[in-house]
Amino acid sequence: MAITLEKVTKRYAGTTIVDRVSLEVQTGELFVLLGASGSGKSTILRLISGLLPPDEGAIRLGGRDVTMLPPQKRDVGFVFQNYSIFRHMTVAQNIEFGLRIRGVPASERAVRREELLDLVGLGGLGSRYWSQLSGGQLQRVALARALAYRPAVLLLDEPFGALDVKIRAQLRQNLKQIQKTLGVTTILVTHDQEEGFELGQRIGVIERGRLLEVGAPEDLYAHPRSLFAATFLGAGTILVGRCRGERVELGPLTLPIPPDVPHDEGDRVRVLFRPEQVSLSADPPPPSAAVLGRGELLEESFSGSFRRVRLRLPALPGTRQLSPALPYGENALLIEAAVPADGRPIPAQAWVALENWHILRQPTPRLLVADSGDASDPALAIARPFVEALDGVATVVGIASGSSGQDELRETLGRRAREAGLDTASVRARAGDPAEQLALEQSEAPYDFLLLGDTEPALRSGKRRAAGLAEELAEGVATPILLARGAAQLPRKILICTAVGEPGKADVRAGGWLARRLGATVTLLHVSLEGRTPTPLVRAHLDRGIETLRELEVKGRATVRQAEDAIEGILAELETEAHDLVVVGGPVRGSRAPFLRGGGDSVTRQVLRRCPCSVLVVPEGSW
Amino acid sequence: MASPSAPRARGVWPVLLLGGLLLWAAWPWLPISRAAAPPATIVFYGFSILGDTMEQGIFPAFQKAWAAQGGTPVEFLSSFGGSGTVTNQVIMGVPAELVLLSLESDADRLADAGVVPARSWRALPHEGVVNRTPFVILVRPGNPKGIHDFADLARPGIGVVHPDPLTSGGAQWAIVAEYGAGARAAGGDPAAGERLLAGIWKNVVAQASSARAARTQFENGFGDALITYEQEALWDQARGRLRAEIVYPRRTILSEHTLVRVDHRIGPKERAAADAFTRFLWSEEAQKIFVTHGFRSVEEQWNAGNPAFGRIEEPFSIADYGGWAKAKKDIVDGVWKDRVMKVRPKP
Amino acid sequence: MSATVPIAGPRAVRPLVPVTLLLAVLLPLILMPLAAVFVFAFRGGLPAFGKALASPDAQFALRFSLLIAFATAAVNAILGTFTAYVLSRYRFPGERPLGILVNLPVAIPTVVVGTSLLLLWGPIGLLGKLLEPLGFQPMFAPAGVLLAHLFVTFPYMLGAVKPVLDEIEATYEEAAYTIGASRWQTFRWVILPTLRGGLFTGALLTFAHSLGEFGATVLVSGNLRLRTQTAPLYIFAQFEAGNVAGANAVAAVLAALSFVIFFFLLRYTTNRREA
Repeated sequence: MAITLEKVTKRYAGTTIVDRVSLEVQTGELFVLLGASGSGKSTILRLISGLLPPDEGAIRLGGRDVTMLPPQKRDVGFVFQNYSIFRHMTVAQNIEFGLRIRGVPASERAVRREELLDLVGLGGLGSRYWSQLSGGQLQRVALARALAYRPAVLLLDEPFGALDVKIRAQLRQNLKQIQKTLGVTTILVTHDQEEGFELGQRIGVIERGRLLEVGAPEDLYAHPRSLFAATFLGAGTILVGRCRGERVELGPLTLPIPPDVPHDEGDRVRVLFRPEQVSLSADPPPPSAAVLGRGELLEESFSGSFRRVRLRLPALPGTRQLSPALPYGENALLIEAAVPADGRPIPAQAWVALENWHILRQPTPRLLVADSGDASDPALAIARPFVEALDGVATVVGIASGSSGQDELRETLGRRAREAGLDTASVRARAGDPAEQLALEQSEAPYDFLLLGDTEPALRSGKRRAAGLAEELAEGVATPILLARGAAQLPRKILICTAVGEPGKADVRAGGWLARRLGATVTLLHVSLEGRTPTPLVRAHLDRGIETLRELEVKGRATVRQAEDAIEGILAELETEAHDLVVVGGPVRGSRAPFLRGGGDSVTRQVLRRCPCSVLVVPEGSW
Repeated sequence: MASPSAPRARGVWPVLLLGGLLLWAAWPWLPISRAAAPPATIVFYGFSILGDTMEQGIFPAFQKAWAAQGGTPVEFLSSFGGSGTVTNQVIMGVPAELVLLSLESDADRLADAGVVPARSWRALPHEGVVNRTPFVILVRPGNPKGIHDFADLARPGIGVVHPDPLTSGGAQWAIVAEYGAGARAAGGDPAAGERLLAGIWKNVVAQASSARAARTQFENGFGDALITYEQEALWDQARGRLRAEIVYPRRTILSEHTLVRVDHRIGPKERAAADAFTRFLWSEEAQKIFVTHGFRSVEEQWNAGNPAFGRIEEPFSIADYGGWAKAKKDIVDGVWKDRVMKVRPKP
Repeated sequence: MSATVPIAGPRAVRPLVPVTLLLAVLLPLILMPLAAVFVFAFRGGLPAFGKALASPDAQFALRFSLLIAFATAAVNAILGTFTAYVLSRYRFPGERPLGILVNLPVAIPTVVVGTSLLLLWGPIGLLGKLLEPLGFQPMFAPAGVLLAHLFVTFPYMLGAVKPVLDEIEATYEEAAYTIGASRWQTFRWVILPTLRGGLFTGALLTFAHSLGEFGATVLVSGNLRLRTQTAPLYIFAQFEAGNVAGANAVAAVLAALSFVIFFFLLRYTTNRREA
């Protein structure tokens, strides 16, 4: 009997635990829901079984809409993580319970019970009590009990969680066998990817209540679509390169981008390679190979048929590493490889080449909307058009000064988000210093944009204005920060303030990308000090910026202004032309660009403080 | 397979035991065991010392007499306690139909609480007084402390057991007796009365909630002397159970026990029996039973029937102090409560 | 689980002194008074004991006490289980204060319980005033005694049942639901059997406390012999009236009953622990 979920959503105290999950499990299929603890996978099982009612969406079992039915009427078998064997009943009584409830005569019950005891391999143990059984036996009793009344659907919630590793492997095979024999449609929930690979005909990966992707184990392993699936389903290295034409650049290496991965020029593209897709050699590989570089052996560990190896390679220009995570301050690449354990020594210095790789789909832009709680917060008001224009997802975060009232805050946030039209937004409630908490939230679940609104008071607890908060964040967070001001309208005219000597930098790319998605026009502004003519360098720099924009298919023009200092020039430009978004780089410290520092204050800070329109701060390395 | 049946076998025992216990407890109420229930019941509340007299003497005698008159069978439900306790219970609403109180001021309290009309008992024979008994002193056999009158109780070194005036009617009688004895010995001097009262109360070693309870305490070995109703002592003496000597003070009070009818509680079915019982209490038969049980009859002529009654040189009554309403205000509250108890040294 | 090997060490060394000391304290404190009851009860010989017990008042008092105790245990088993179930299974505002409130009777002096019941249900009480014209008068009647006993013993049942209920994981019930059992079937076949031990303990405790209840009973019963006089009231009344033999006979029976209950309680709990 097929199981169908249609946009099933479950919220609890304002938090969305299961978020619009749609899924179809075929009749007789063994489907595995895989996710970290707290990802909502067990909740999905409870929703299917009827132990919890969904807030939205529909659940069908074999075409029958059971969304509103109590668990008793759903005809499901459920095996709990703790098995919940009835302690005052014998094994036999436990197994027969479902039949007794259904009024099956004793003789029939006995036949079925013996059948099941044999099926799960507990023949002869029918008269035992709970306390006389091992963990593995209990699990089998729970399974037999759930199967006794021939349910159409079998649901297993981490059935191996409480067992030791050795028994686990054996019971997995048993379960697979039983499921195959009975052909009962089964969903198994686990956090163990190995278990998922072994059991699942298909696997669904859950993260934060969302079903990220579904596929056969091999497929998910080799060709994950999402970053989470890529990292959750096994070891491997993920590098971020830049898109040039139809290829992605990883330093000197370029790899073709498959046609089914939509990409824009200059986009960041993520390349995944599994340890076994990496080949190591002491001698330089042939030029036809996809060589990443030469690295030194950091560590190796023996794991049966393979040796796991970690190498350090010099950093590649224009390339960033996402996984495995780099230690702080490390300016290199860490590559994981698996080498056959055939006794051959691994060279201390080895050439690293890729035998195969996978290019991940472009991610959905993720917006973090910081809600100040103010009735007229432009951040919330503008979030919805932004999300729609970028085809992204939003998370609304609120920060309380104290840890009390989190539930209440969550509820308020949920309500406000819905009022702002962000029906599908997740909600996060945090407590503490706003800048710190926002930085933490960003590091826990990377976002592409941080959206702040400039109102008074800025954030729930903070007396600080949002501009100050944005400044503080720009120094610590590697994410573009959008400070929304004024009317809740998407920017039509974007002004990008560039600086000499930094061609094609993050601010131009980020501003250009945004302009493309929003359909806005871009003006590149260079301010030179009064009485000085722009050097050829400035011209060349602006030309490259225009070039970058053209590659992004954005219309742009360059303009040069003379002013007392940078901020005066920017303000003068804003007065003559009705730009509604100013893009600046992050605060620059030190002496690298003395020009940008006016009157002891960075241009970024000045722009944030004095520009009347919205501001996008693009910290270095964030785009 | 043996394990599940084992606890069951062990469980038969207590179940049988409990079942048996329940059966035995419920037996009188089960339809099969139920004897024909008397159609009428009279709920009688009395002060403590009446217990034996009513249950063994008066009730059976009335039931017999009533049956002889052709009345329907009547059952008595009774409760006995300190007169004050009984009064409080009746005020709180116990279903008492007839209440025999130790003193009239408790009846006044019932009237004040609206349970009965004021002074309604005065319409009964002898103004509601059913019987009397003088207050006497009980001492240990052989009278080792040489106690011959109330004055001796005020001597240092004597331990007195006294009922508690808060709950006991007898205690209030005793206080008036002590005060009166003191005052009368000095030719009616109130100061002398107060002196004696204070002297005796200095020696009180135990207070009990009722006259009956005070005697139990005395019997259990407390104190050298007990101030109590003569009836208490005589009734025990008559049954050979008195392990004390009776000392008749020269001057003492005769207590008067008042019957109060809570008319609105008397159901129509019981009214005839209740009326007959009320009349019966002042009949020759009942009065003679009282005399046999050690009470002095309200009709002096019957008192010769009990040779054990001691002689009291100078008896007095509550009327000598203006009735209970005045005596309670003047003596119990005015002297005992406000003066004697205030100066009484802590033991 | 428990050690069968004798434990060497300070425990085994010279138990004589502390044990003697303990006995010296316990003897006059607990053992001797109990013994005195029996000694006095049988001082007049068995026939006198029998005669004292055979008096209609004593018979009534014992029977009435037992019936009230049975009724109290039965009603509180239902009420206590229901309360425990609600408190441990549902989350609602005011749940914590309610949890404290239902245990309050244990902390309130029984005399206060009696007084408060009188002030509520009595003929001059808040509710009783309204009920009296309807001819319903719970105080000074068996119903009043039952009411007082239910009040006083309520926490014992709750205290015995709720911890057991709290220990049952939510998935225990959920398992039954998914198997197809209705709420009632789940309670009847899954929850109730696991509560059996707690119910048994609670019922015995309730029974024992009801059997010995005095403070509240003396106020609400009206102490009417042959109608509302329980065994403890009878003992007190007889003792006050000087009928020590009669009082002691019933007291001895009460004490013996308590021993039996205590014995069962002890056996049951130790059996549990060993199982």
